[in-house]
Amino acid sequence: MIKACLHCGLDTERTEEKFCCAGCCAAYKIINKFGFKNYYNLRQIDSKERKMKPQEDERIDIDEFITENENGSYCISLMVQGIHCAACVWLIESILKKQKNVIKARVNLSRKTLFLEWNKSKDAGNELISIISDIGYKILPFDEKIIQEEEKKYGDNILKSLAVAGFGAGNVMLFSIVLWISGPENMGDSTRNLLHFFSALLALPAIIYSSRPFFSSAFKAIKAGYPNMDLAICMAISLSCLVSLLETLRGQTDVYFDSAMMLVFFLLIGRYLDLKARKKAFSVASQFAMLCASFGRVESDDGQVKIIPIKDLEVDMVLVVAVGEKIAADGIIIDGNSEVDASLINGESLPKLVKCQDQVFSGMINLESPLKVKVTKRSKDSLLAQIVTLSEEVEGEKNHYVRMADRFSRFYTPVVHVLAFATFISWCFYFGIGWEAALVNATAVLIITCPCALALAVPIVQTIAISNFIKKGILVKSGQSLERLREVGVVVFDKTGSLTIGKPELLDIILLKDESGEKNIILTGGQRSYYLRLASSLAVKSKHPISIAISKEYQKNYESLESLSVQESRGFGMESEYQDAQIRLGRKDFCEIDREVDLSSYEHGNFISTFMKVGDQEVVFLLSDKLKQDAQNVVSCLKDLGKKVILLSGDSEKAVRDVANKVNISEFYFEQTPLSKVEFLQSLESKVKNNQSILMVGDGLNDAPSLAAADISISFSQGSDISQNIADIVIQGERLEPIISLINSSRKAIWLMKQNLIIALIYNLIAVPFAVIGFVSPLIAALAMSSSSLLVLLNSLRMNQGSHK
Amino acid sequence: MSVLIFLIPVTIILGLIGLVAFLWSLKSKQYEDLQGAANRILFEEEIPEEENLQNKGEE
Repeated sequence: MIKACLHCGLDTERTEEKFCCAGCCAAYKIINKFGFKNYYNLRQIDSKERKMKPQEDERIDIDEFITENENGSYCISLMVQGIHCAACVWLIESILKKQKNVIKARVNLSRKTLFLEWNKSKDAGNELISIISDIGYKILPFDEKIIQEEEKKYGDNILKSLAVAGFGAGNVMLFSIVLWISGPENMGDSTRNLLHFFSALLALPAIIYSSRPFFSSAFKAIKAGYPNMDLAICMAISLSCLVSLLETLRGQTDVYFDSAMMLVFFLLIGRYLDLKARKKAFSVASQFAMLCASFGRVESDDGQVKIIPIKDLEVDMVLVVAVGEKIAADGIIIDGNSEVDASLINGESLPKLVKCQDQVFSGMINLESPLKVKVTKRSKDSLLAQIVTLSEEVEGEKNHYVRMADRFSRFYTPVVHVLAFATFISWCFYFGIGWEAALVNATAVLIITCPCALALAVPIVQTIAISNFIKKGILVKSGQSLERLREVGVVVFDKTGSLTIGKPELLDIILLKDESGEKNIILTGGQRSYYLRLASSLAVKSKHPISIAISKEYQKNYESLESLSVQESRGFGMESEYQDAQIRLGRKDFCEIDREVDLSSYEHGNFISTFMKVGDQEVVFLLSDKLKQDAQNVVSCLKDLGKKVILLSGDSEKAVRDVANKVNISEFYFEQTPLSKVEFLQSLESKVKNNQSILMVGDGLNDAPSLAAADISISFSQGSDISQNIADIVIQGERLEPIISLINSSRKAIWLMKQNLIIALIYNLIAVPFAVIGFVSPLIAALAMSSSSLLVLLNSLRMNQGSHK
Repeated sequence: MSVLIFLIPVTIILGLIGLVAFLWSLKSKQYEDLQGAANRILFEEEIPEEENLQNKGEE
């Protein structure tokens, strides 16, 4: 009977106990000791998240990251992996607060970080942290500065500006409404001037403070030599402020402080939405993975292990790589035999056997047993770094895409400015009404035409679209990707991990010899399940990818396993006894099988075979990297949509041809290196029609440069961290279907954005003539602006329609 | 209309208090973890002792 461990929820084979290991048992006791048993009732475990299994040999050196405060206390910021719900926040905070010396313990659920402050001694921190890792959370110290990047600062600035603009707009409106509803008959000149004066007093500082984001962007645009939307905005804001100030000082009636203030406020809302959409897409998990890979555990001469940031690793240092850990630098194995997952480097799905004196590269994952690796290259020279550099170079070369809104404003801005200038000139010289009055009319033109609705339109649609995607497990990193997705003409797939699952799965079980002497029988039904059950009974005790594949296949179909005592010879196989017969599962020579396997009945030969011998019966398990379930559907669907589909892989011809035939892709390329993939994409770019873009779908590190080179790229959450960082869109889970829904939704989103632009244009066509002839009062300007923004907002909400089906 | 002389500054000061309060909350990092803050109120600071005993009794 397999039961779930009380603490971590993993399956446990030890029937008589409630826990899978001593670590979980200890963790359970700690939680009970402090009286937090309620945690187990409150938590909501997501099966996809890391399990809360305490790790052995997890002593982390945190000294470097501790900062001492002036008042003698110490503090540290930690990333905590394994926080999945609010109950974890409560558990960690409450347990820490029960410890003596702790001053402050605060968990950030969105960022999955812990801030810890304590007094007494620096060493006390180590004890506190070990309590958390004993419960089963994985902890890593980090430098607060890495996280607080530009993005966050910018976000805070927008929020501050938004607050000031909101304050200003609210109060100025109080005066404006009074001014609008009371004509000259019931408000004297002096009262009106007083209200104007207060408006100016409030609006000017508020506008100067809160419109900084626009001015800095406009300034950059001028420097770069092309007008953008912000330039038009800035012109409108500054001109209307100047004119209004002038009018106030002269004691005139038409003052536009309210319009300028509202404009800034509305525009900032648009900016904030835009920012929120981008922020949402930043996955904490990938942040953590990035940091995880940025430390290496180094053993010094006296046998002590220290955690050192990768950039400080030197040649000849000795790295200790635990099972399941990433190798932090390129080097040579000096102690230990193991198998490594090299899929990130070469895209191959099968683990590679490594022994002493073998070369390993950073980014490989150690699967079998602990290794000691002597560093041969500093991190900046490693193979990984070379691929990353290549990706960065390629990305730098890529032409920067001009967003739809910017393209629009490139023709819009000059037209508007010329119109305003013409209004001024004609009123001033042709009709001769004096330059002050002419300036008021010209300002009215600028305010009326200011792309307020436009600035809101695009970000609102983006925010709604992106949050709809997030609900479906698709992370779209920027709104601009939506625009490019619509234009996709060619879809280029990588093979391993993109079209296929990327992990071996059991295909067939073949009996080499049966009693009647017949050879190579593919087993079905009862016989298949008999051998599968037997093999799984052994395989369940091993963490080898092939074992996992076998036992996973079994758990899909059946219920209970034999409980056997199994001996594992690492890298060879496992053996046990069952009903007086010896069972061996593993490599061919380990099972002592001489007979050849006849695979001629299979069209292709991209297999891994593993062997089992029970008594004198010999069985082969054929495993293969299977296609993703919906691969065929998605490819044919893409073709129906009129997209060209290409397969581009680093694998051998046979394997690539096989997959291409299965999913019906006629154009495929094999044995591609990361560099040749990039070259292929670049040559493809010159071939496709100029308004079409190229979509690259890939997951491995070897795809990273080509993901960067493509116009738009999609990666998967199981892919390498680097390709996830580079890709514009990350899909969670194994399915490919999201690609289709992405393309369809992007069509809808772009159509809505275009509608919004048209609404804004129509509104201008109607309102501008009035402004030009000097008919627009501050009241009409404010009304027109708000109503057009509202219309655009309502139209954007239609993005939600149909997505709830 | 002379009452405006008092009322206008009063509205501005009230508004300013609100603004300062918001900026303070932003500065004291209350907007860093909106997800956590929403869930936090659901948990009790301390578990009452009796409940503890009850839990142990069940075991």
